[in-house]
Amino acid sequence: MAYKDTMSAEAISALGGAVEELLHIGKGAPRTAEIDKVTGKAVYIDEYQRPGMLHGKILYSKHAHARISSINTDKAKALPGVRAVLTGYDVPDVRVGFLGDQTLLKRDVVRQYRDEVAAVAAITPEIAEEACRLIEVEYEPLPAVFDPLEAMKPDAPLVHEVDARGRPLRSNILPLPWKLTAGDVEKAKAESAYVVKDEASTTWINQCCMGTSGCVAEFDSNNNLTFVSLTNVVFGAKGRIASYLDNIGLKRKRIRVLNPVVGGSFGTKLDTDIYEFICIQLALQTRKPVKLQFSRDEEFFALPPRQAARFTIEQGCDKDGHLTFRKCEAILDNGAYTSWGATTPSVMMLPMSSMYRVPNVLFQATCVYTNNIYSQAMRGYGNPQAAFALETSMDHLAEVAGFDPADFRMINRNQPGDVTPMECKITTCPLDRCITAVREKIDWDQKRGKGNGRGVGMASLIHVAGGARIYMSDGTGIRIKVTENGELDVISGSTDQGQGSPTVMAQIIAEATGFMPEDVNMIFGDSALGLWDAGTHASRHTFVAGNAAVRAGAQVKQQILELAVQYIPKLVKSALKKQKRKNPDFVEPELDYSLIDSPEKMDIKNRFIFPKAEPDHPYFRMEARDVVRRGLHVGTGESKHVVAEVFWDPPTQMLNAEMKGNYSCTYAFGAAGVEVEVDKETGEVKILNLVSAHDVGRAVNPILVKGQVYGAAYQGVGMGLSERVQVVEGKVVNGNFRDYKILTAKDTFPVEAVIVEDPDPAGPYGAKGIGEPGLVPTAPAIANAVYDAVGVRILDLPITPEKVLAALKAKGE
Amino acid sequence: MKQEIQFVLNGEQVFADVDPQWTLLYLLRNVFGYTGAKKGCGVGECGACTVIVDGEATNSCLYPVLEVEGRHVTTIEGVAAPDGTLHPIQQAFIENNGVQCGYCTAGMIMSAKALLDQKPDPTEEEIRTAIAGNICRCTGYVQIVESIQMAAARMKQ
Amino acid sequence: MGAFTYHKPATVGEAADLAAELHGARFVAGGTDVVVLLKQRKIDPANLISLRNVAELTYIDSADGLSLGSGVTHTRIANHDYIRARYSALADGARVVGSKQIRNVATLGGNICNAAPSADTACPLLALDAAVRILGREGEREVPIDDFFLGPNKVALADGELVLGIKLPATSEKSGSAYIKHSRRQAMELPMVGVAAWVSVSIGGSEERCRGALECEHTPDVIQLLQNEEVVLEDVRIAMGVVAPRPIRAREAEAKLKGQVVSGALFESMGDVAVSECQARDSFRCDAGYRLEMVRVLTKRAILKAIDRIMRPGREADIDLLW
Repeated sequence: MAYKDTMSAEAISALGGAVEELLHIGKGAPRTAEIDKVTGKAVYIDEYQRPGMLHGKILYSKHAHARISSINTDKAKALPGVRAVLTGYDVPDVRVGFLGDQTLLKRDVVRQYRDEVAAVAAITPEIAEEACRLIEVEYEPLPAVFDPLEAMKPDAPLVHEVDARGRPLRSNILPLPWKLTAGDVEKAKAESAYVVKDEASTTWINQCCMGTSGCVAEFDSNNNLTFVSLTNVVFGAKGRIASYLDNIGLKRKRIRVLNPVVGGSFGTKLDTDIYEFICIQLALQTRKPVKLQFSRDEEFFALPPRQAARFTIEQGCDKDGHLTFRKCEAILDNGAYTSWGATTPSVMMLPMSSMYRVPNVLFQATCVYTNNIYSQAMRGYGNPQAAFALETSMDHLAEVAGFDPADFRMINRNQPGDVTPMECKITTCPLDRCITAVREKIDWDQKRGKGNGRGVGMASLIHVAGGARIYMSDGTGIRIKVTENGELDVISGSTDQGQGSPTVMAQIIAEATGFMPEDVNMIFGDSALGLWDAGTHASRHTFVAGNAAVRAGAQVKQQILELAVQYIPKLVKSALKKQKRKNPDFVEPELDYSLIDSPEKMDIKNRFIFPKAEPDHPYFRMEARDVVRRGLHVGTGESKHVVAEVFWDPPTQMLNAEMKGNYSCTYAFGAAGVEVEVDKETGEVKILNLVSAHDVGRAVNPILVKGQVYGAAYQGVGMGLSERVQVVEGKVVNGNFRDYKILTAKDTFPVEAVIVEDPDPAGPYGAKGIGEPGLVPTAPAIANAVYDAVGVRILDLPITPEKVLAALKAKGE
Repeated sequence: MKQEIQFVLNGEQVFADVDPQWTLLYLLRNVFGYTGAKKGCGVGECGACTVIVDGEATNSCLYPVLEVEGRHVTTIEGVAAPDGTLHPIQQAFIENNGVQCGYCTAGMIMSAKALLDQKPDPTEEEIRTAIAGNICRCTGYVQIVESIQMAAARMKQ
Repeated sequence: MGAFTYHKPATVGEAADLAAELHGARFVAGGTDVVVLLKQRKIDPANLISLRNVAELTYIDSADGLSLGSGVTHTRIANHDYIRARYSALADGARVVGSKQIRNVATLGGNICNAAPSADTACPLLALDAAVRILGREGEREVPIDDFFLGPNKVALADGELVLGIKLPATSEKSGSAYIKHSRRQAMELPMVGVAAWVSVSIGGSEERCRGALECEHTPDVIQLLQNEEVVLEDVRIAMGVVAPRPIRAREAEAKLKGQVVSGALFESMGDVAVSECQARDSFRCDAGYRLEMVRVLTKRAILKAIDRIMRPGREADIDLLW
């Protein structure tokens, strides 16, 4: 397989010798573009209004698995203010979802508590809710299965009796055989000096976006749809909706997908959820704009959480500590239907095959239908789950083989130039610096191995940081228009979810064009305006959109400099003439116009065009917008508008049939170190210190990078210690902020984000993606620290006081 | 049946006809169009609806609307100066990445303001106690706490 | 939320009259429980009687023991220096209820009338031997707090009766109290287990050395050193939350401790007794087995913390210390 060089000519020139003179990259620019968020003016879906807008509400199942024997909507329909009541019999029997395994409203059988049974549109949300209460549904309960291992047994109740095409199913195991193999695992195992085998599991985590899910659907008189959605993949959503409309007979309708301000994403906006299709159907039925917004309850029980997973992991090393093999089998509780959770193995494969140098790898994952809640994406996708199994196993193996866990990681660290068993090409890789930074800052050598109730633990990570080719296109489009006032109106095909992209993109564009960040007006999330984009996910936005922006910015600068060659002499001459008219004594200076007779001889910085040979030239140094304006108003039919449009698709590969390929331009590495104190009487784990060191390529905005790391690390601590969606016989029982233990500001500990810079030739000004990595190594680092502190390995997340205390008792303490 | 109430909203004497079933949050959002306060959970567990009533940070989603009679209510819309100049807390949030998705931000700033109004020089512990009822999923609170400290320092000058 | 009429009496008299007149009316103070119940449609009263504007119910009087109006907010209790010093357990409980926003409006009366097994002021009031002042049709009566809690969300109030406030007996210099909320987070929480203790002590040995003992890092060392100084638990009250349908006193454990010199063995056997007094249940919030384990640990720690309060008064730093 040919190794396509990820280092493009443009990227190299963008880096060029100019790296040292960056004016806007590397600065902590303020988030002025988002000022409306601090004044209360930002318009989220909560505030989004349309004339005559109705409000939708969904009625859910009361059983984990049951046959619907009757539905009576008469009372609901009779309630004043109700405009539509829909059941499965009122909507076309069209399947949606990743495997097409469900319909919008369930007709005959419900397979989980969140199954949508009916939907209402009414003039107020309160009336819609009341109408839902008036719908009478009778169920005949069916045998249900809640444990994936039970569900795999031949005699288990079937969650689905037929597949999307109506063919009978005999098993709850999904037809998604995830498997990656490289080398010879069994041979390597036989030859290993040390081998460990562990079982680890992670549970459902709710993304807990502070803004609840919602959308507004509106058809015009031609049945063209405007859909205001929180999606982070406007074109993905558009595609799914288009095929739905097509399937219900609305062929070739125009669809515009728009984002309001989005109140958090963390994976929840990747798939098009059932509520969105229901909202569209309500809008179609009522011929009115319809808003459907979740309550916090719904956000917990009706929105797919992070995929839960169980791992059996075996690793071995030789007597020098070099990893010899890694074998991992994962079982995923798919829930009743299939969303992106079932595809998390595609990302689990990355750490399983490519974290540390390991020549022989076998990774297999089995997804199993149950009557539980189904899952989707969450920050890191499958990586945090896999990293938990992998990094706790690394510590175990280090112990068995007699190595310090930090040394063990250094022995096996990835290095630049490596090609991993998954065929990922490692280009820049400062993992050694990340591990060393953590080791120093957590005071590893002093604090480790005391066994006195305090301990330290460490874990590393690898993640995609240069896009992730999970679709045939991993591209993104950007358009930069320079107005005659010197503003840069920029339309990005991608979306902003609050991570700071308007600020970061403005910095990149200012750097590339020679304007100022505050000149840049970013417009995101509009499928009608933006060029195609694969979505703001997989930590790809800064990298992919940044690369497009660097290229478009260079074109803008070139266009302005070409205008400058043409018009600066004219502008200068006419100014001199004017001065002469005003003052007859004025002596015209002799100017050397050869300083500016080609674009190469000039540059633009901080809004000013200047000759490189004489940057402070008293006549030729000119504001760029004056030249832009002059170029736009020529008077001869030869006016030019400065505008550039770039669609950039990173030079990466789709995974092949063996699940191998270089699917990202570059990979990010990092390490987390945690110091904990364990209360042996209560089992409580207290974090005393957390250091998270990350390879970011180059920090476009160090303050924002740290914000990503802090926020992700806190989510990692939640995953490690306190967060779990508790599902009892299919039902979410802790669906509120009191019982779902997201950390509060009082649950605090010192946290340090260490930014490790090693500019990546493929990145915009060297930047790599950093949205997800901070979360990944946190939970395993905590588990490893708990082991160091009190000698118990808790391999089932979260590490609750009960589990720690029980383990201590089992150990005899 | 609607009843009239009268109160001071962001420094202005206002009147409204209200239903007893409403909460202060409903009144602010649906009658006055002050939508900075958000309904993040509706039951006082997230703090996104925080406003200041008579000097104290309060969950407006649990505040019976008839209790607003005669009181002074400050919302995020009343925090910046009338000319639009940001309050030092708002400014610090913008500069120090105290805001990410922004959904918790209005409530967070109101909790911080109530604290700094009462205690201009709070400890980190006091800041964290004051905002512990404001859940944020994006930031890990680190840069929020720093922003409040930055604002307190600037306000002292 | 169903329709209701909202009444805003300005005096206790008006409130009592309304309650007498409007059968089934529900009192609401800070609203942090009642409004939630209304929104969740768990209650649907035709009339709500607000106590928020009844100034008579917001008194804090420390002339003889401590008297608190039912309308006093948790914030006021938590910030009250005298309560923090002399009725520390109550301040401990008040400061860990919900969030600042909740504490600013939620009242003491509301917390006890809601009668959650997990109510954070309930255990402190039990340990501090509170009496509840109740106004009914026949006038005012007083009920020991232990007789006030009947079960989950059930208290000894007849329809129309109103809690005026609580009274706590005077405390001596040689007594102290503490409440420990054992929860998964540091805020916005219900306890998995809550334990309050009040003790009065006599010291055979040196007080100075007792203070030194409390500086030790390991609990067994602390206990041993206190034992060396012959710290006698002259009187003890222990209350436990979330281990029974209502917050309860651990009377047998108290009896076990009374008059004894603190020691590891004493705490060990006291823990067994306290556990035997519980009727803990499994719930998704916490397993019964773990709750009982924590009763053992937290009764000991609450007593140690109460002793600490006697020995080292006015120490703000000890607020989150484990004993």
